[in-house]
Amino acid sequence: MKNVLALISGLVFGFGLILSGMANPAKVIGFLDIAGSWDPSLAFVMGGAIAIGFFAFKYAETRDTTLLGEELNLPRNNTVDKRLIGGSLVFGAGWGLGGFCPGPGLVSLGMGYSGGIIFALSMVVGMLAFELIQKNSG
Amino acid sequence: MFLVGLIGSSLVYGLVTTLPQAIIEASPYALIVAGLLVGVGTRYGSGCTSGHGVVGLSRLSLRSLVATISFMASGFVVVYVTKHLI
Repeated sequence: MKNVLALISGLVFGFGLILSGMANPAKVIGFLDIAGSWDPSLAFVMGGAIAIGFFAFKYAETRDTTLLGEELNLPRNNTVDKRLIGGSLVFGAGWGLGGFCPGPGLVSLGMGYSGGIIFALSMVVGMLAFELIQKNSG
Repeated sequence: MFLVGLIGSSLVYGLVTTLPQAIIEASPYALIVAGLLVGVGTRYGSGCTSGHGVVGLSRLSLRSLVATISFMASGFVVVYVTKHLI
């Protein structure tokens, strides 16, 4: 049951990304191009998702377990540190360069775009490289 | 299984209706660099547009607000440089 719901969640998330234009790098770059012909429409995608998510998480906060009865792990970390800001700045640079963030990158991989495949593979390499460095330094 | 659904979403979407076209303007080399930056950055900063931007902001997390402002800001700067300065 857990796997079925995870599969459906992934599908629904992907549909949203495709339908909203988040999975189209040209649209994402247009959103980030405030000095050019700025297309602010993706802000509504994020705003809409937050408007729904706000109530979903309000409900989740009232529970001790998930609807399937599993342990509910909501993040409790609230520290703002160099790691958070540095990592986010690096991520944003990659997002602006390619027009892909992780979810849409994987959607584009599924669509079979060569650019999406290149991006998604490089992203996985980046994540693995980071894990390796973490392990060796920690 | 979540990732399987996400990657497979376009296949199912395409069965029901026409898939909108995605336009990728970046060169393959730029996409390699972009992928590496996104991979390392999302791990180092513990989240992305969905994790911090949607989930974190939905939960009114200050940490996620700072992260979202950071990646938006560097996204704006990089697009400005690549579209208007180079």
